[in-house]
Amino acid sequence: MSMTKSKSRRITTIVRYVVLSLWALMAFFPIYWIVSTSFKVDTQWFAWPPYYFPDPPTLSNYMNVWFGAEEYTQTQYAISSQKPLISLWNSTVIATISTFLSVFFGSIIAYGVSRYKILSEARMFQLLMLRMIPPIVIAAPLSLYYSAIGLLDSRTGLILVYFLTTLPYAVWMTKSFIDEVPREIEQAAEILGASRWRTIFEVVLPLIRSGLVATFLFILILTWSEYLLALILTKTDVTTLPIELSKYQGSTEGRVYGRQAALAVGITVPLMIVGLIIRKHLARGFSFGMVRR
Amino acid sequence: MARIELVNLEKSYGFVKAVKGLNFTIEDGEFIVFVGPSGCGKTTTLRMIAGFEDPTGGEIRIDGRVVNDLEPRDRGLGMVFQSHALFPHKNVAQNIEFGMRMKKVPAEERVRRVREVAQMVRIEHLLEKMPAQCSGGESQRVALARTLVTNPSTFLLDEPLSSLDAKLRRELRAECDRLHQALKRTFIFVTHDQEEAMTLADRIVVMRDGEIVQVGSPMEIYSNPVNRFVADFFGSPSMNLVNGDIVQENGALRFRAPPFDIVLPERFKSAAPGKGTLGIRPESVEVGNGAKGDVELPVRLVEPLGKDTLLYFEADTERPFVAVTEGFGMAHINVGERVPLSLDHRRIQLFDATGQRVEASP
Amino acid sequence: MAVAAYSTDDVPPKATTREISRRRAVRRFKLSLLTPLIALFAFVLIPVLMLQLYFSFHQWTVYLGSWWEADFVGFDLFQEVLTDERFGWAVVRSLTFATGSTFGCFIFGFLLAYLMYKPFRGQAFFYIIFLLPMLTVPVVVAYTAEMMLYQSGPLNDLLSRLSGFDFKPSWLSNPHLALMTVGLLEIWNWTPFSFIIMSAGLAAIPKEPIEAAQILGASKWRIFWEVQLPLLRPVILLALILRFLEAMAEFPKTWALFQGGPGSATETLPVYIFMTTWQYFQISKGAAMSYIVMLMMIVIVLGAIQLLRREKRALDKMYAQAGKPDAVA
Repeated sequence: MSMTKSKSRRITTIVRYVVLSLWALMAFFPIYWIVSTSFKVDTQWFAWPPYYFPDPPTLSNYMNVWFGAEEYTQTQYAISSQKPLISLWNSTVIATISTFLSVFFGSIIAYGVSRYKILSEARMFQLLMLRMIPPIVIAAPLSLYYSAIGLLDSRTGLILVYFLTTLPYAVWMTKSFIDEVPREIEQAAEILGASRWRTIFEVVLPLIRSGLVATFLFILILTWSEYLLALILTKTDVTTLPIELSKYQGSTEGRVYGRQAALAVGITVPLMIVGLIIRKHLARGFSFGMVRR
Repeated sequence: MARIELVNLEKSYGFVKAVKGLNFTIEDGEFIVFVGPSGCGKTTTLRMIAGFEDPTGGEIRIDGRVVNDLEPRDRGLGMVFQSHALFPHKNVAQNIEFGMRMKKVPAEERVRRVREVAQMVRIEHLLEKMPAQCSGGESQRVALARTLVTNPSTFLLDEPLSSLDAKLRRELRAECDRLHQALKRTFIFVTHDQEEAMTLADRIVVMRDGEIVQVGSPMEIYSNPVNRFVADFFGSPSMNLVNGDIVQENGALRFRAPPFDIVLPERFKSAAPGKGTLGIRPESVEVGNGAKGDVELPVRLVEPLGKDTLLYFEADTERPFVAVTEGFGMAHINVGERVPLSLDHRRIQLFDATGQRVEASP
Repeated sequence: MAVAAYSTDDVPPKATTREISRRRAVRRFKLSLLTPLIALFAFVLIPVLMLQLYFSFHQWTVYLGSWWEADFVGFDLFQEVLTDERFGWAVVRSLTFATGSTFGCFIFGFLLAYLMYKPFRGQAFFYIIFLLPMLTVPVVVAYTAEMMLYQSGPLNDLLSRLSGFDFKPSWLSNPHLALMTVGLLEIWNWTPFSFIIMSAGLAAIPKEPIEAAQILGASKWRIFWEVQLPLLRPVILLALILRFLEAMAEFPKTWALFQGGPGSATETLPVYIFMTTWQYFQISKGAAMSYIVMLMMIVIVLGAIQLLRREKRALDKMYAQAGKPDAVA
C-alpha cells in the first residue's frame, strides 16, 4: 500500500462532497425554478433562452393569484373563476380536522394495541392495507356512495375518507411512542384512583406530547397534498389547493406558469416548514417499528 | 385495618408457573418483606395483591373480602415502584395531589395535605420542581409522599430502594421504618436484598421458584434457617457451608469432611448417617485462642474492614471458609499461616443430603 | 408531631369508586377503544366495498337510469376486463414504472445515506436539502416538471450547455420517453423517503460489530458486505416494499402531466381505471377492473406483510436477547 491513510481519507472526503453536492443541486434546482418563476414577469415564463433569474423580480403573480389583483400585461388571463383563498381555507379545514381525528383516535387505538393487545400483530399489519392498496380502486363506489348519502362535494366527505386512509399511519406511529412510556407510570396513576380513560388523557397522552405533534404534522403532509380523492370527491363547492392548482391548467390555453408557480409555492411552503420541523421523526413515521431508536 | 390473606394463590404464564399455590396471611399493621432471588415470584405476588396481574388460581382477600376481580384503585392500597414512576410532566406538588384529585378532594384541602406529607418526608423545598430535577433519593421520597397522601390501608413497595446507592438506601430504609412506626399501617415490601429484609421486617417471607420457603422473624430466619438455601441467602458474609459425611462412630455422631472432623452436639442425635452439610456463621468461628481448636486451616486472604477483620481460609469447600474477628488484632496475620479454629457448637447447623435442616431434638 | 397528628385525623380508607367486575370492565374498555375503527369500517369502508362488488356484477353506466335497477351480468365484466388488451398493457406499465422507480429511489437513497453516515461539516445542511423533494406536493412536482421539461425549456438548455451538444429530447411528447419521465420524477420526488429510512437503519446498527470487524482487519468493502448489509436487510426490504406499493398507486404526477398520453404511453393502472370510470363513464367496467387490481394488490401486500412480519420478529428477537439483563443472584 503506497497510499497513506490521511491521503485516502482526503480523497474519500472529496468524493463525498462532490456526490452530495451534485445530488443537492438536482434536488434543489426544480424548487429553485418554481420559486424563481413565481417572481418572473409573463414574458420570461416561456422564453428562449430561459431566464435563470427573474429580471426584474415581480410580486404581481402572487398579488394576482392570492388577492385577485387585476394587472394588465401583454396577455390577458382568464382566471376569474379561480378562488385560491377559498381553496386555502378548505384545504386548511379539511387537512387539520381529518389529521386531528386521525391522530386522536389513532393514539387511542394505539394505546389499546400497546397495552391491551386489542389488535394482534397480524391485524396491525392488515390495517396497513388501508394505506397500501391504491385508493383509486375504491374511488368510484366511494363517490357513488357519497352522492347517495349527500357527502359528495362536501368537506365532511373528504375529512372522513382522509381520516380513514391516514388512520393506519397514525396508529403505527403513535404506538411507537406509547411503547416507550413505562407501564409503571400508568399503574401508579391507576392505583392512585385514576380510571382507564383518565389514565390515557391525563398521563399517557401528555407524556407523548411531542410524539403526537410529530405524528400530527406527519399526517398533515399526507392530507394537505392528497390529490386523487379530492379530484374525485369534490366538484364545485369544495376545492382543495392541489385541485385548484390543476384548474389553472385546464381552464386556459395559454401557459400561465408564473401564476401557477405563485400558487404552487404557496401550497408547498407550509408543507416544507412542517416537514423540516419534524425531520427527526419522519423515519419513525415511515418505518412501522422496523427501525429502532 | 387491613388483613391480607393469600389462599392457594397461583399465577402461570402459559406453561411457566410463576407462583405455585401460596397460602399466607398478613396481619394488620405488620411490616412484611418478601425476599428471594430474581424470578422467585415475589414481585408477581405483590402485583397480584395490587391488582395489576390477574391470579390464575386461588384468592386474595382483604379483610375477609375476595378482591380478585376488583380494580386496583378499588382495593384501598398504595404502591411505590422500583422506578418511582413519577409523572414526568407534572411538578412534585401536582404529582402528590394526583390521587386526591382522582378522589375529588376539594382544592384547599389538597393544598393543606400536600404540605403536610411533604413535611412528613422532608421534601417541602421540592414542591415546585419537576421530577427530572430531583435526585434519585428525592424522587423516591416524592413517590412515598404521593402514596402517603391517599392514606392507603396497605403500602406495597416493589424494590423501592434498589436503584439507589448504598448511603441513600440506608437513609430511606430508616425513613420507611419511621413511617411504619408512625402510621401503623400494613407494609408489604419486596426486595432481593437480604440486608433490607433483615433490618425492616417484622416477618420475612423467603420465596424461591414460586413457593414460600420459610416465614419468620429476621432473628428466626437468621439463626434457624430451614434449609441450605435460606442459610446461604441471609447474612453477609454468608454462612460457611461444608459438604461432608455424617458418620456414626463409637456411639458418637461425627461430621467428616477432611480437614474437618467434628463431634456433632447431642441435639443432632436423630440425624441419619450419610451425606450432609455443616453450616456455621463466620461470627461463630473463633480464631486462634491458643487451644488446638476443631480444625486447623491455612489463611488465604485477610480483609480488614475497620470494626472487624475477615479471614478467608483454604479448605476443601466451594467457597473459602470465613471467620470474623473483632478489630485489627488479626489484620497482620501472614497469608499461608495455619491457624486453629474452634466452632461454637451451640451455633452449628446441620443439613441433610437434600439440603433440609436436621431438626434439633430436645 | 406532624406524623402522629396526620395518622389519626383521617377516616379509615375505603374504596371510593363504584366497584364493578374488573374483567367485564376491561372487556368493555377494549371495545370502546376500538369503536372509531369499527364505526369507520361499518359506515365507510364496508358499504363502499359492497357497492363495488355490486357494480362488478351489474352492467351500469351513467346513461342508464337508476343504478339499483342495473342488469345482472355475472362474470361478463371480469371477462371483458381480462381480455382487454389496454388493461394488460396498463398492468405491464404499472409494474415497470413501480419496479424501475423503486430501485432508482433505493439506489440513490442508499448511496446518499451511506455517504451521510458519519458526521461531517455541512451534514445538517445536506440533510435538509435532501428532504425537500419529498416535501413538495406531487401535483406541484408535475407542474414544475412541465415548466422545466418542455423541449426548449431550462433543463434541455442546461444539458446542452453542459454537454456541448444540441441535446433536446422531448421529455413530454415522445411516447418512448414519457413513462421514463414520470419514473424520473417519481425518483426525484421519493428518493428522500428511501434516504431517510436507510439513514435511520444505518444509524441503528450497533457500532460494536463494525469496530470489531475493523480490528480484525476487514476492509471497508468487507465490512459493508458482511456486517452492515445483513444487519440492514429488514430496513432495505421495508424501503423497497413501501416504495413499490406507493409507486403502484401513483396518480397525481402521471395524470396532471400526461393524462395517460402521449398516445397511451403513460396509461398506468390508476390512470386507466380513472379514465374508464370518469371519462368513458363505464362505471361497471371500472369497478370490475378495480376489483381485479384490488385482488392483485392484496396478494402483493399480503406477501409483503408476510416478509415484513418475519423480519420484524427476527428483529424483535435480536433486540430482546441483546437487552436481557443478567440475572441478579
